[in-house]
Amino acid sequence: MATDNIDQKHNEDYEYDTLTNDRLIKDHDYDGIRELDNDLPPWWKWLFYITIIFSVVYMIRLFVFNDDSLVQEREYEIEMAEAKANMPEVDETTAAFELVLLEDEASLASGQETWAKICSVCHLMDGGGLVGPNMTDHYWIHGNTLEDMWRIVENGVIEKGMIPYKDQLSEQKRLEVISYIMVKIVGSTPATAKEPQGTAY
Amino acid sequence: MELEKFTYDNKHAKMFIYASIVFGVIGMLVGLIAALELIFPNLSAEIAYLSFGRIRPLHTNAVIFAFVGNGIFAAVYYSMPRLLKTPMFSNLLGNIHFWGWQIIILAAAITLPLGLTQSKEYAELIWPIDLAVVVVWVVFGINLIGTILKRRTKHIYVAIWFYIATWVTVAVLYITNNIVIPVSFLESYPIYAGIQDALVQWWYGHNAVAFFLTTPYLGLMYYFIPKAANRPVYSYKLSIIHFWALIFLYIWAGPHHLLYSALPDWAQALGVVFSVILIAPSWGGMINGLLTLRGAWDKVREDPVLKMFVVGVTAYGMSTFEGPMLSLKSVNALSHFTDWTIAHVHIGTLGWNGMLTFGMIYWLIPRLFNTKLASLKLANSHFWIATLGMLFFSIPLYFAGFTQALMWKQFTEEGYLAYPNFLETVTQILPMYYLRAFGGTLYFIGMLLFVVNIIKTVKSGSFVRYEEDGAPAQPKVHKAKEGWHRRLEGKPIQFTVLALVAILIGGLVEIVPMYMVKTNVPTISSIKPYTPLELEGRDIYMREGCYLCHSQMIRPFRSETARYGEYTKAGETVYDHPFLFGSKRTGPDLARQGVKSLPNYKPDSWHYNHMVNPQSLNAESIMPPYPWLAEDDLDISDIAKKIEVMMTLGVPYPEGYAAQAEADLKAQAATIAQGLRDGGIQVENDKEIIALIAYLQRLGTDLYSESGK
Repeated sequence: MATDNIDQKHNEDYEYDTLTNDRLIKDHDYDGIRELDNDLPPWWKWLFYITIIFSVVYMIRLFVFNDDSLVQEREYEIEMAEAKANMPEVDETTAAFELVLLEDEASLASGQETWAKICSVCHLMDGGGLVGPNMTDHYWIHGNTLEDMWRIVENGVIEKGMIPYKDQLSEQKRLEVISYIMVKIVGSTPATAKEPQGTAY
Repeated sequence: MELEKFTYDNKHAKMFIYASIVFGVIGMLVGLIAALELIFPNLSAEIAYLSFGRIRPLHTNAVIFAFVGNGIFAAVYYSMPRLLKTPMFSNLLGNIHFWGWQIIILAAAITLPLGLTQSKEYAELIWPIDLAVVVVWVVFGINLIGTILKRRTKHIYVAIWFYIATWVTVAVLYITNNIVIPVSFLESYPIYAGIQDALVQWWYGHNAVAFFLTTPYLGLMYYFIPKAANRPVYSYKLSIIHFWALIFLYIWAGPHHLLYSALPDWAQALGVVFSVILIAPSWGGMINGLLTLRGAWDKVREDPVLKMFVVGVTAYGMSTFEGPMLSLKSVNALSHFTDWTIAHVHIGTLGWNGMLTFGMIYWLIPRLFNTKLASLKLANSHFWIATLGMLFFSIPLYFAGFTQALMWKQFTEEGYLAYPNFLETVTQILPMYYLRAFGGTLYFIGMLLFVVNIIKTVKSGSFVRYEEDGAPAQPKVHKAKEGWHRRLEGKPIQFTVLALVAILIGGLVEIVPMYMVKTNVPTISSIKPYTPLELEGRDIYMREGCYLCHSQMIRPFRSETARYGEYTKAGETVYDHPFLFGSKRTGPDLARQGVKSLPNYKPDSWHYNHMVNPQSLNAESIMPPYPWLAEDDLDISDIAKKIEVMMTLGVPYPEGYAAQAEADLKAQAATIAQGLRDGGIQVENDKEIIALIAYLQRLGTDLYSESGK
């Protein structure tokens, strides 16, 4: 090393750590703990500089340029606009959605999935009713036709705690779960049945 | 030079070590129970004192303030006299410090399960205990500064710089965050509200991590690693730079706990950039710790003490890299409110604090008892089990956090939430909770091996209470050639003042404008104070620790507004003394629970049934039951006083409303209870659950009442 000579010259002024040959600082001795005179590792210094540069740029982006990605209100507006733009377009060529009872196994299975995920929270898994009314009996509060059911699932009965599902479930999913109710739940025998409510049909 | 003789008293170091071990076992056991309760929600057997919301604060307080706290004091009481060549300043103050701290811990262990809490994370202790903490902290400070002033060495070593920074900063943080107006001996409300309260709390919370879990342990590291390895510290220059950079920068980083919240963009940005700049100063500590071991790596292979130090310091490096990454808004958008955060903090606590504490005690106990460690093999087993435990704890939770965050954000092609039922995202990650509990069990088993080993070691030796040492008196003459920092190391009072200035700047720049500048919290005219019944319900919400699993902060993301409704505005939180944003979503957000048109709305009867027996509504739910809420009468004896305190804090109830509060409370309770009875639920007007339902049904509704959404 080029510095060997210099180190040799200063040998009397400094002490050296025998294992690493690093220079010890004189007079730095605390309960036997010595300190080495090593410089800051260059990569460490660079790491520090880079994070500082990052931060300065970050603040300039926010305070000088009002960068959209750092103003969260704008960020949200952009995200919502993008989502709207990416919504699948209603395909005019395919058949329009029809409100008819589905009885195929695939639809009923999909309906059951929705029932288990969402409806069962209030109506219980077997439809016996708890917070929500019993769905197995033939008493109905808001009517028993497919159209009645559709209306309730779409708009809810907010004062009773049934929320609207039109923003949460697609038309297909809503129809599937209604079909599941009408085909599988109505008329079944639950473990515990809530007392009848509404009118008998 | 004439040597002056003096004696070290090892009594307090020994006592603090014992306390750290005892409370470490208890704190970790409580943590393990809490982890199991997340898998088996009925584990608490409907005993209120054992429910998750009450023992989770017990776990965090026990491991932070009792296990680590006593570890800090053990390190200070052992290393300070030796580094400064003088006995501790006062034996009496040492006794008061030790017993005072243990009494505080005991008081915490009693009050937290009783549900007595301020509901701010890591600042849960009620105001009389806070006062005791301040008194004991001052006692500790006098003993600390007194010892430094009595020193024989000219300069103070880097470990002591960190002890000083710890002392001043914790004092400032703790007092500022706990300024409250008492309602009674057990209850109080903080003077700050909503988003301002949140900023103060996370300025505190983040820096409790920085100045209670980090800086004193860096001090510990700077003494015990060079001692145990018998190697010089790698770089004195690095010590200086990373010390000042760390304490100056750390204090600014608090707002990274509130990214995408209602906190203004400028404050969030400060939280981001100062967290990122912190990587290098934090790693400075890691480098100085690890590179001190150069030339001693052969010893590391043999010696469990050094092994633990290496894993501890490495864990420190990992979590101080991860922390800044989690502070980037894009990462935080995913990680926040998930188990990712839990994994992150446990790398810090199990790795950094745990391993350093174990290493220190394994090294110290044989010296304090003039013997050898009873079993190196057992210590090595402890090392491996603890390391494995840490990994089994954290890796599954990283996976859980990531998975759940993605599920929360997933939309179907038609534009609906893919997982509209929150519970689905919980059951998905439940297997990870099993693994976490397994990891925690491993770590706890390691802890028990540690206890056995320490007991055996203590029994095999005899306590060396006093050690003689000698050193020349402090030199009076200055060396002309000293650099500025070297001179500062000889002036501890100036050093302390400078450290205080360094840590005050960041806090002042962030907190003062939040109070002085009106635009930071824009007024929303439809936001009204809580009714007396809702206020009581809110107090129950705090008592049961609901905020530990349910957030009240909807972030401005499509995935959150679709699930929970309009995102939370700063102006909505102005009457929230304290804020209840929460930091974790084990259950869904509740910020708009009361808004009838939103997906998560539930009727009163649902809340009633759900609170009494959550699994009757969702078999897979991991919410614990709260049957006592339906059995216990609501205590309304303080309601007038509560309203008065709120009015003192600026909540605009009409003049003289306190006198009318009880009547209003009873009227509202009667309406809710009647509604429940009409639905077939047998409940009386004066039960606690009525108040809680009233509060939940109020949440988030004011904003919607204005805009008619």
